Amino acid sequence: MNSLDRLIKEKLQREIQAKTRRHFIKDCVAGMGGLALGSFAMSCNSFLGNNEKAKIALTERDVNPLASMAPPFPAKVKSVIYLHMAGAPSQLEMFDYKPTLHKLHNQACPQSLLEGKKFAFIRGTPKLLGPQAEFKQHGESGNWVSNFLPHFSKVVDEVAFLKAVNTDQFNHGPAQLFMHTGSPRLGRPSIGSWVTYGLGSENQNLPGFVVLTSGGKTPDAGKSVWGSGFLPSVYQGVQCRSKGDPVLYIDDPKGISRNLKKSTIDAINNINKKEFNEYSDPEILARINQYEMAFRMQTAVPEVMNINNEPEHIKEMYGVQPGKESFANNCLLARKLVEDGVRFVQLFDWGWDSHGTGHDTAVDLGLRNKCTEIDRPMSALLLDLKQRGLLDETLVVWGGEFGRTPMQENREGQEMAYKGRDHHGDAFTMWMAGGGIKKGASWGVTDEIGFSALEGQVSVHDVHATMMHLLGFDHEQFTFDFQGRPFRLTDVEGHVIQEILA
Amino acid sequence: MKKQVSYSLLFIGIIILIISVWNLLKPSDTVDFSADIKPILNKNCIVCHGGVKKSGGFSLLFQEEAFADTESGVPAIIPGNAAKSPFIQRLKEDDPELRMPYKKSKLSKEDIELLTKWVDQGAKWGKHWAYTLPEKVEIPEATQSAGISSNDSQGFIKNEIDHFILRTLENNDLEPSPAAEPNIIARRLAMDITGLPPDESIFNDFTSGKITYENMVDELLSRDAYGEKWASWWLDHARYADTKGYEKDMGRSMWQYRDWVIKALNNDMPYDQFTIEQLAGDLLPNPSADQLIATAFHRNTMNNDEGGTDDEEFRVASLIDRVNTTFEVWQSTTIGCVQCHSHTYDPFKNREYYNLMAFFNNTRDEDTSEDEPNLKFYNEEQQRKVTGIYDWISKNEKKEIAEAYNNFLQYSEPIYHAHSAKNYTNGNLADTKWLALRDNGSCYLNDVYTQGANYMYMKYSSGIDGTKVTIRRDHGEGEILAQFTTNKTNGRVIQKFPFKQSNEKLNLYIEANNDKISPKSPTSYISWFAFLPEIKADNNGYTQMDENFMQMLNTNTPTLPIIVENPDYQQRTTQVFERGNWLMKTDTVQPATPKSLNAWNDAWPKNRLGFSKWIVSKENPLTARTLVNRVWQQIYGRGIVASLEDMGSQSDPPTHPELLDWLSLRLMNEHNWSIKALVKDIVMSGTYRQSSKNNAKLYNLDPENRLYARGPRMRLGAEQIRDQALAVSGLLSTKMYGPSVMPPQPEGIWQTVYNGGNWVESLGEDKYRKALYTYLKRTSPYPSFLTFDAGSREVSTVRRTVTNTPLQALVTLNDPVYLETAYHLAKFMGQGNNVDTSIRQGYKKAVLVDISDEKLSALRELYNVSLSDFKDKPKNIKEFIPFETDANANLAALTVVANAIMNLDEFLTKS
Repeated sequence: MNSLDRLIKEKLQREIQAKTRRHFIKDCVAGMGGLALGSFAMSCNSFLGNNEKAKIALTERDVNPLASMAPPFPAKVKSVIYLHMAGAPSQLEMFDYKPTLHKLHNQACPQSLLEGKKFAFIRGTPKLLGPQAEFKQHGESGNWVSNFLPHFSKVVDEVAFLKAVNTDQFNHGPAQLFMHTGSPRLGRPSIGSWVTYGLGSENQNLPGFVVLTSGGKTPDAGKSVWGSGFLPSVYQGVQCRSKGDPVLYIDDPKGISRNLKKSTIDAINNINKKEFNEYSDPEILARINQYEMAFRMQTAVPEVMNINNEPEHIKEMYGVQPGKESFANNCLLARKLVEDGVRFVQLFDWGWDSHGTGHDTAVDLGLRNKCTEIDRPMSALLLDLKQRGLLDETLVVWGGEFGRTPMQENREGQEMAYKGRDHHGDAFTMWMAGGGIKKGASWGVTDEIGFSALEGQVSVHDVHATMMHLLGFDHEQFTFDFQGRPFRLTDVEGHVIQEILA
Repeated sequence: MKKQVSYSLLFIGIIILIISVWNLLKPSDTVDFSADIKPILNKNCIVCHGGVKKSGGFSLLFQEEAFADTESGVPAIIPGNAAKSPFIQRLKEDDPELRMPYKKSKLSKEDIELLTKWVDQGAKWGKHWAYTLPEKVEIPEATQSAGISSNDSQGFIKNEIDHFILRTLENNDLEPSPAAEPNIIARRLAMDITGLPPDESIFNDFTSGKITYENMVDELLSRDAYGEKWASWWLDHARYADTKGYEKDMGRSMWQYRDWVIKALNNDMPYDQFTIEQLAGDLLPNPSADQLIATAFHRNTMNNDEGGTDDEEFRVASLIDRVNTTFEVWQSTTIGCVQCHSHTYDPFKNREYYNLMAFFNNTRDEDTSEDEPNLKFYNEEQQRKVTGIYDWISKNEKKEIAEAYNNFLQYSEPIYHAHSAKNYTNGNLADTKWLALRDNGSCYLNDVYTQGANYMYMKYSSGIDGTKVTIRRDHGEGEILAQFTTNKTNGRVIQKFPFKQSNEKLNLYIEANNDKISPKSPTSYISWFAFLPEIKADNNGYTQMDENFMQMLNTNTPTLPIIVENPDYQQRTTQVFERGNWLMKTDTVQPATPKSLNAWNDAWPKNRLGFSKWIVSKENPLTARTLVNRVWQQIYGRGIVASLEDMGSQSDPPTHPELLDWLSLRLMNEHNWSIKALVKDIVMSGTYRQSSKNNAKLYNLDPENRLYARGPRMRLGAEQIRDQALAVSGLLSTKMYGPSVMPPQPEGIWQTVYNGGNWVESLGEDKYRKALYTYLKRTSPYPSFLTFDAGSREVSTVRRTVTNTPLQALVTLNDPVYLETAYHLAKFMGQGNNVDTSIRQGYKKAVLVDISDEKLSALRELYNVSLSDFKDKPKNIKEFIPFETDANANLAALTVVANAIMNLDEFLTKS
C-alpha cells in the first residue's frame, strides 16, 4: 500500500470513528478484558447459556459510558481546568490598563456611550471612574498587570489574554449559563459535559468531570452550569466537596468496613452475573461495571481530595488552608485531579460582583482582597503544572461571566459611598494558558476607557470553539441530536481564535 | 497499478450497464415523495435550500417554493422533464463549482436516479406521514405459522396490537418470546400502572389463579397510585417544580396543580378535556376553581426575580416557552426553530410562529415578583363571606359587575403593575419591582382604562405617615383625578381611594409629597393599581359588603399562579421578532394555526380556547399519535417513533406506523380519549406479556428491541426506585396531596446565593411520602432523584435519558434513606427461623421471585462474612443500625444482606 492509500484509509477510519464516536468491539472477551473489571475475570461464554455459543456484540460505551476515546482530530491538550470568577471581576483593575480613564476620572459619562445601552443598576448619567489599581508591564511579553496581582505578574509570559471578550447577557444567572453552556437559558449541557461525552475519562476510578467551589457556594445560575442538559446524566459535573462527603454518599455507612463493602459488592455483582446469564441484557454488564467503579471511587476520591499528604513547599506555594473550601485548596486539587487523568475540572470562586455597595464590593478595597485570594494559588497552579510537564497537555482558562463598566455605579441615580462598577458585557478580559496556547499573546483592544472593543472582539462562542479545537474537536461537527435537531455547544456561531494559538 | 485501474473501470462500467438495463426493464413503480424523496432532500439539500437559507432563490421546503422561479429566472424543477430540470442537471455536473450538493461529494447513483424518476413522473409533492392521518387502518390478518398465533390461552395473540407486531416479526424471521411467568408479569404490570410492586393480596390472587390477568389490570388501574405514577410523567411535560427558577429560584406554591393532575388522571378525564382545561380553562364559560387550577400548566414557566432584570424580557421568555412547550407536548414538534426562521426541515413558516404566539400573548402574567395572577384558596368561613359579597352584588347590580368583583376576590385581576410606570422624577422602580417615589417625586402610568370606576385600588407598603399622593390627568398641571394620603402600613396592603370617574383611556401623572422625610427616602413601595366598575346601589348592606370585600382582599390565603386572559382594553398586539430578537419587532400578526396542519373551524373563538379545540380536533394528525407514542414509550422504554419529541421529517420513522395510527384512531373514536383505556390496550397485549429474556441472536439482530420479539426490560425511574424501597420495607406513606415535603437530604445541598429557603426536614410520615411529593427546587433538585435521571424541570421534558452510573450505586448503597429501608426489610427477614429462610423471604419480598440456590449461597456467604465482622466488632452494630436499642449482630448482618438485595439489578429493573 502506498502512502497515499494509507492516508486515505486513515482518513476513512477517522471519519467512521468520528461518526459513531465509539469503538465497536466484536469480540466480547477482548471487550470485557478492556473494561478493567478487576476482581473477576470473565469470559463471554460463561455469561451465556451453554447452548448460546453466539456472542453479543457490544461497544465499549455500552458497558462503560466513560470509556476514554480519541478525539476526531489531533488534540493539543488532554484536560481542562476552568477557573470561573462568579460575579464578574473588574478587568479595569486587573488587566485592561486605561490611562485615559484615569484622566477622565469623575467626569460625567458622555451621553453617546449610554444611548441604547442597558445597565443592571446604573441610572441617569453616571461619572467615569479611573482605574483603582496601579499598572505595570511585565515579563518579556510586556503585558500589563495591576499591582493587585503581584504573583501573577511573574507568570504573565505563560498566558494569552483575550482583552475584548463580548457577551450579550448582563445578569449573573443567564450570563454564567451562557459562559458555561453556550446558552443563557437553562437546559443545555455544560462545556465539561460536552468534553467528557466526547472524550470519556482517562481514570476509571474518578469522575471524568469534577466541580470545586470556593466555600462550597453554588454560583448564581445554580448547578445547571455544570449540568449535562440533554446529554446523559453520567456526563454531568460531579461536585466534590472538601467538607463532608467529598462526593455525595461516597462514605460507607458507619459501622461498615471496606472489606464488608467489598463483600457486599462482590455478592451483588455475583448475583447480577447470574442474572445476565438468564436475561443476556448488556445493561446488567454495565451495572456490574458501575458498582465496581463506585467501589474504587470510594477509595480514590477521598484520596485525591486529601491535600494533607502534599509536601510542605507545595502547600506553601499555593497558600492552602487545610480543612477549608478555599480557592487555594481547589487550585491544588485541580492539579491533583488533572494529574490523575480527570478530563475537566471546573472551579468556581465567588464574591467578584464589585458594585460598591459596601467595603467588600468596592473596587479599591474588597476587589483587592479578592485578587489577593486568587493571585498566589492561580499562579502556583500554572507553575506547578509546568514543573510536572502537565501544562503542555492541560488548558487553563480564567474569566468571569462578563466585565464591569468604566463608569462608577450610581444606584437609583444617586452617588454611592464606595467605589463600584456595574455589569458590562461589551468588552472584558479572559486568559488561557497551556498546550497549544501562544505564550505571552494578547488579543483584542478596547477603546481609551475600556468600554467597547476596537479590534479583536471575540464572543463566548469563539472562546468555546477555541477550547474545543484544542481538545481535538471541530465545534461545528461535534453535535448531539435532541428535540429533532442536532445541537452543538456553539449553537450556530463560533470561530476558533487563531491569534492566541501557538 | 495502471492495469488495476483499468480493470476497476471496466468492472464499474459493467455494473453501471447492469443497473441501467435493470432500470429499463424492471416494472416502473411510482416514486413516493415522503418515503423516497424527502429523506434525500433533507439529508443533502435542505440545509442550503430550505427554511434557513434559500441559496440561489431555491427552496425545497414548500411545494410552491420548489416549483417557483429561482434567481436564474426559471424554475429548477420542471415536472415531467428531468433532463431539462436544472435541479437534476446540477446533480450530475462534473465541475465541482457547479455540482450540487455544493462542495460535497456527488450524490449516489441510486439517489440521483430516484430523483430523476420522481421529476419524470411529474414531481408529485406529498405530505409527510406525520401531517396526515388515515381514516381507518386495517388490522393485519394473523397467519397460522409456528403455532403462535392460535387463539388459545398459550398463544401470543391477545389483542389487535399483536397482529401488527407479529406481521413485522414474521417479516424479519423472528418469533415472539414465550409469555413471562405470572410473578414476573405481575410485578411488571404493577410497576407500569402504579409505580409500585404489587401488594401481597393482588399478587397472590393473580399467581394462584383466583383472578384473571384482566381483573388485575382493572384493579390496578382503579387505584390512586395510578394517578400518582402517571402524574410524574405528565409533570415532566408540564415542567412542574416548587420554585421559580433563574438566579434567585425562590419558592412558589404550585402543588395544587400537581394535585389536579393526579385527580384528573385517576378520574380518567378524557385527554381532550384534560388538554382544553390546561391550555384554556380560564376561557371556559364560568370556569370552576379546578378549571382555573388546570391553567397553572403554563404558569410553571420560570419567573426571574433577580434585581435589574427586565420583566418584559422574561415575560416574553415565558411566552416563547409556552408556545414551544405546547408544540412539544401536544404536537411532537420542535416549533422553537421557527422563532428565528422557517423550519429547516418541516413545513412551518417563520411567520406562523408568531401567529401561534398571538394565541398566548394576551395573558395577565408579567414576570412580576409576586407571580400575579394568583388564585386564592379561601377556607370555608372566608368562602362564605366571598359568596355573600357575590350574592349581594348580583341582587343589586348587573351580573357582570358581580362577576368582576368576584373575580377580583379570586385572583385580583385586572391590575396595572408598577413596572408599567415611566418617566420618573425623584423616584424609580425600586429593585425593578416596586413603584417608589421620593418627596416631590412623580411618574407616568399611561393607557389606563378605569371602566368608569369611582375608586382606585392600590397595593403598597409604606413605613412613613402623611404622604400626599396626587393623581392628575396627562401631566403635572392636569385635572386632579385623585388625591389622598398614605400612612405607615403593616406590610403590603390593598386600600381603595376615591377616583374621578371616566370612560376614556387615561394617562395618569402620579405625584407624591412628604417633606418630613429625607429626600433620599421613598414614600412607599407600590405593587399595582386596579379599578372595578362602580356599584351604584347603596341600600342596606352595602357598607357591610364593602367592609367584607376589603377584608377578603387583604386576607392571606394559600395561592396558586394561574392564567387569566387580558380584558379587551389591555390587549397586546403580537409582532414578528426579527431573527427571533424580542427587541426587534416588525409586522403585526393575528392568531392563526400552521397551514400544514388541520384546518381551522370558524365555529371556534380565535383565542386559546379555540386553539385548544384545534389541538384536540380529530382532524389534528399529531395530538393522538403523540399521546399514544409517549404512553407506549413509558411502558416499553421506546416509542413507536423513537424520537418522542419530534414527529416530523427529521424524526425516526415509526417502527410500526399502522399500529401507531390504529391506536390513535381507537383512542379518539372508540375510547373517547381515555388514557386508561389506552394503557389497558397496551398492557393486555401478548406483546407486553412476553418474557423479557434476551439471547445473543436476538440481541445482535435487534439490540434495542424495536421489533418487540421480547418483553420490555428497563431500569426503574427515579421515583420508582425510592417508592419501591419504601414499599418493600413497609415504610411508604400512602398519604396523598398537599404541599411538597422535604425528606432527609445531606447537609449543604441547598447553598444558594440568597438567604431564605431552607430545607426543613419533614417529620413523621412525611419523611416517607412518595417521591412525587418531594419538594423540587429547580437549581438544586433532590440529589438522589437527579442521580437517577429525573430532571430539574426548568423546561418541558418529554423523555428522560436513562443512565447507569457509579453515583447511582453510591445512592442505593450508602444513602441513609436506603439503609433505613434495608434495616426494615431485615427486620421482616429476621422473623424467619434460620438464615436461609430469612434470605429467601427477604429476596422474595423484594423481587417476587423464589431465590435460586446459586443466588442464595452468594447471599448466605455475605451474611456469614457480615455476621463474623459484626461479632468481631460489636461496636459497629449500633453505629450501623442506630434505629433500635437492642440491635444484634444477626440483625446487622441481615441489614447488609437486605441492602445487597435492594441493589440487585433485578430489584432496580422492571423485567
